[in-house]
Parts: sequence; C-alpha cells; structure tokens
Amino acid sequence: MSKTNNDNSSKSLMWKLLRKHISPSQLVGFSLASLIGLTIVILAVQFHQDVRPIFNDEESFIKKDYLIITRAVSTAGTLLGGSNEFTPDAIADIEAQPWCRKVGKFSSNDYSLFATLSVGGIGGRSMGTMLFFESIPTEFIDVADSDWKFDPAKPEVPVIMSRDYLSLYNFGFAASQGLPQISEGIVSKVPLQFTMRGNGYNETLKGRIVGFSNRLNTIVVPQDFMKWSNERYGSGIDRNPSRLIVEVNSPGDVKMQRYLDDHGYQVAGDKMQQGKAQYFLNLVVTIVIIIGIIISLLSFFVLMLSIYLLLQKNTKKLQDLLLLGYSPSQVAKTYINMVAAINVAVLILAVIIMLVARSCYMPMLKALGTSGGTIVIALVVAVIIMALITTGNIIAIKRKINSLWIQAS
Amino acid sequence: MNNITLHNTLPAVFAGRPDTGSEIWLRDVTFEKGKRYLISAESGTGKSSLCSYIYGYRNDYSGTFAFDGRNINQLSVDEWCRVRTHHIAYLAQDMRLFGELTAMENIMLKNSITGHKTRQEIVAMMEQLGIVEKIDSPVSKLSIGQQQRVAIVRTLCQPCDFILLDEPVSHLDNVNNAIVAQMVTDEAQRQGAGIISTSVGNNVKINEVKEFKL
Repeated sequence: MSKTNNDNSSKSLMWKLLRKHISPSQLVGFSLASLIGLTIVILAVQFHQDVRPIFNDEESFIKKDYLIITRAVSTAGTLLGGSNEFTPDAIADIEAQPWCRKVGKFSSNDYSLFATLSVGGIGGRSMGTMLFFESIPTEFIDVADSDWKFDPAKPEVPVIMSRDYLSLYNFGFAASQGLPQISEGIVSKVPLQFTMRGNGYNETLKGRIVGFSNRLNTIVVPQDFMKWSNERYGSGIDRNPSRLIVEVNSPGDVKMQRYLDDHGYQVAGDKMQQGKAQYFLNLVVTIVIIIGIIISLLSFFVLMLSIYLLLQKNTKKLQDLLLLGYSPSQVAKTYINMVAAINVAVLILAVIIMLVARSCYMPMLKALGTSGGTIVIALVVAVIIMALITTGNIIAIKRKINSLWIQAS
Repeated sequence: MNNITLHNTLPAVFAGRPDTGSEIWLRDVTFEKGKRYLISAESGTGKSSLCSYIYGYRNDYSGTFAFDGRNINQLSVDEWCRVRTHHIAYLAQDMRLFGELTAMENIMLKNSITGHKTRQEIVAMMEQLGIVEKIDSPVSKLSIGQQQRVAIVRTLCQPCDFILLDEPVSHLDNVNNAIVAQMVTDEAQRQGAGIISTSVGNNVKINEVKEFKL
C-alpha cells in the first residue's frame, strides 16, 4: 500500500470521525459575523483610500498642512491706522502652540513696482500694471524648481503665481469674454518685465513665471531677491510681516481654531473647512473600522467557542486517536484545515463584496474628479486580519489538543 | 527498544497503603524484548494503570519507568508517537474503538499510519478470528466479543518490540482465546517482540515465561 494512499485514507477516516458534532449553524453564524466584520473594515479602508485624493491635492507622500493667517482688518483699524502686522512676540507665541510645526513670515516689497507684459516681441502690444511681490522661506514653497534663486550678476526674477489667478482668468474672465484660455505652459513663456523705483533708482529687470502654487494665494519671488531689492530700492525700515504661513499638525484642530479666534487672526482660503471635513472623514472612517474590528473579534470568539465545544464533545475520540499513534498536530490538522477553508472563503467573499460596493460608489466619486485610490491597502489589511484570526484559531486548536495528551486517571 | 524497566513504581492513588505483596509495585522489574509475561491480578489493583503508564498517557505515579534505561518522562510527544507506532502495540481493556466507523475502517485508521499490513493480511486475520463478515459493519453494531477481536487485529497492525495487552480475551471463549493467543505469539515471533498481558482470570494462552502477581 503506498504512503499517499495511506495518508489519504487516514485523512478521510479522521474527517469522517471528527466531523461529528460539527454544528453547521454555528459555523454559518461565525462565517456571517466574520464576513460582515471583515467587509466593514476593508470597505472603510478602501473608501478612505478612494476619498482621500479629493481632500489631498498635493502629491506628496506625507501630507503637510499649511495655513496662511492674517490679522482681521477692522473698520476702526482702517480709519485709525491700526497695525495689521505680527509682532515678534505674537509670532513666538504661535510657534509655541502645540498644533504648530513651524512658522514662515511673508515679507513684501518696500518700493514701487510696475510689471509689463509684452506680447508679440519688440514693437508688439504690451500691458502693464502696478504690482506687489511677497516672499517666504523656500521650505514653504510647494513648487519644485531649480531656477528658484536670484543672482544679482545675472538679474532675472523668477516668480511663482497662485494657480487661482490663472483659474480666475481662464474660467472667469476668458470664458465669459470669449477669449482663449491660457495653459500654464504658455504663461511660463510670456516675457515679463519688472520696473522698480526707489532710492533714486529706476531699473527694469526681466521676469519669468516658473510655477503655480496651490498653497500660496499671492505672487512670490525668492527671498534673496526680496532682500536684495528691498536693500537697493527700499526705505531700509525693517517691517513686521502682515501675513504668516504656518505648518500645522491638523488644520481642523479645535484648539487651533479657538486660538485664532481669540487673537483675531483670519485664515486665508478654505483650508480650514477642508481640514475640518477631512478630520471628520478620518473620524468617521476610524469609528467604522473600530466597529468592523469589534465584529471581527466577536466572530473570532464565536468560532473559538464553537471549536472548543466541538473539541470538548470529541475529546474521547481525539484521545483515542492520540493513543493509536497520531500526533497532536496530525489530529489538529483536521480542524485547522476546516477553519482555514472557512477563513479563506470569508476573505474572498469579503473582498468581492468590497469590490462590488466600490463599483457602486465610484461613479459618485468620479463626478468629484477623482479616480479613487489603490485597492492594495484594503487587500493587505484583509489578508493581515484574516491571517491574524486564522493564527489565533490555529494556536487555540493546537493548545486544546495538546492538553488532551495526558489523560486523567 | 530492548527492555522496559520499572523502578519502585506505585500509582499515586496507592500511596500510603500497606504493602500488599505485589510483585510489580514498589519493586524493580524488567520486561525484555522477545519474552512473554503475564500479569495476573484482581480488579482494582492497578492493571490498566500499569498499561497507561507504560503507554505514556497517564503519569500519576511515583517511581521510574524506563525504556532501555531512559526515563519515559523525558520522552517528547514526537518520541511517544514513534513508540506508539513502532515499538509498543497496545490493546486497551476498553478497546477504544470508534463506534461509528466500520470494523475495517477502525483497523485501517491504525494501519494507514504504520503501513504494516496489507488489506489481504488484515482480511485473513479477521477470517481467522471469525469476524470477516463484519468487515463493513459499524463497530457499534458488533458484540463485545466481536469488538475485542477487531481491536486485537488493529493492535497487531504495527511494527513493535512489545505487545502490551490489557485483558485481551476477557470477552472471548476458549476457542477464540486460543486463536488470539496463537495469532499474537506468531506476530511476536515474527517481529522478535515481547508480550506483556494482564488478566483477571481468563488468561490468554501465550505460554508465558514469567507470571507476576500484581
């Protein structure tokens, strides 16, 4: 008789022997509970993955949140000439707050600035406007560009513009006036000239738009240019900044909101609201995941209870098999295979349900302009949870069967 | 495995009792491979306990049991599985058959892990013992005597150095007793194995070399 035949025959005989007392209703109950728990967890993870890009338009791996704050401009302040600047003490106080990671100061030009835009080369049409510049430390700039520097020996001014300005033109002005829309690439190629006046100088430098920023709602030049130009054309008075860029832990933080309100600071843009929405999304997803995990845990205990009951009822048979020379692991294998089969089936079903549910909500998310996130994370989470549950089951089964090795007298 | 030795052994429940003159308990005893031993006793003197200690599924005793001089307490679970499939063939007094399996399935459950006998050999043994027509009957439907014979066939389905029988013929008539005795001694001889059999009166006729009173 071959070994394989023997193995198969002992396996099928063991199954015939040990399947007795298996309660289908208990196993169905476990499978359902486990399926519901696992599906909730991975669906929540997947939903979070799919929705996150809507809140997070930055491509960076670790998302950073920035707020641009100003002091509220009051009517009385305007009439009485009150200051809207941040004093060094106020800045130090913001830096000391637990929600604050770092603070950057906006500095602005202290001289008269006129920008000219030439279309059609020399002799072509040109447009001009009074303008302002601001600068912040380079670490706060979200446009990576190697040209982001200024060299007085070869003066050309790189500029980063708010993407909102271009959007405002393209979707607001151009669309209504029947003018052509301009791409970022075209704008970057438009020759600019900046004329700076002050301290007896009247000089014109070439300029170039090197990028568009989602974060900065202004026109930004490199800090070294700002320093150089203010020294050359400015009055030399060192002013306190009137705008600050603050990197924060979480833009929806309630404590931060209270601090800003108490000090009469305002936040530019909708970052705060967006932060709050994301905060609530995270909160809701976390709660749902916790509920899913609790259901999964409960189902785990239902299965454990069911298996313990089964092993208890089959104690005599298991002991007799051990006396025949079957090892505890051979005996345990029958139950381990059963549990593994159930868990794999639950895992596959949960993933299928998750994918079906995802295909139901994705059209709605697509309307919001996102194609969703990766499903890899949800799959990994599903496999890890099932692996943990199965490992727990296997350890419990082995322990129980090992405890039968020595019989009571 | 060439010998099984007992040194000063006593079931825990007998601790503190006066010495009853047992030739096994609290003595030094050696069972050697190839020889036949009968342990005769009255009920309640610890026959089945003795078998369960030697077979390693109870350890409520004092003293030392050893296989070839090695204390059996030191055996790992894997080593015990090897003992149970390759060194000691054991027939429990209560037979430990599985009622819902047929006679053949019960035997195959053992034979499939040892691969010791062919199906033909098993059928031949069942024929010899007059239970071949019960081959596919669930064991629960067999009489105690028939069950005992199924259990004996199963016990012999493994390589061994000792055959340990706990009241093997308690439910058999003289004719079947003789057949069983012949079958067991033949198998022992083929393998050069020793036989240790217990009895409360209906001794299996194995021509023992030594009888112990328990």
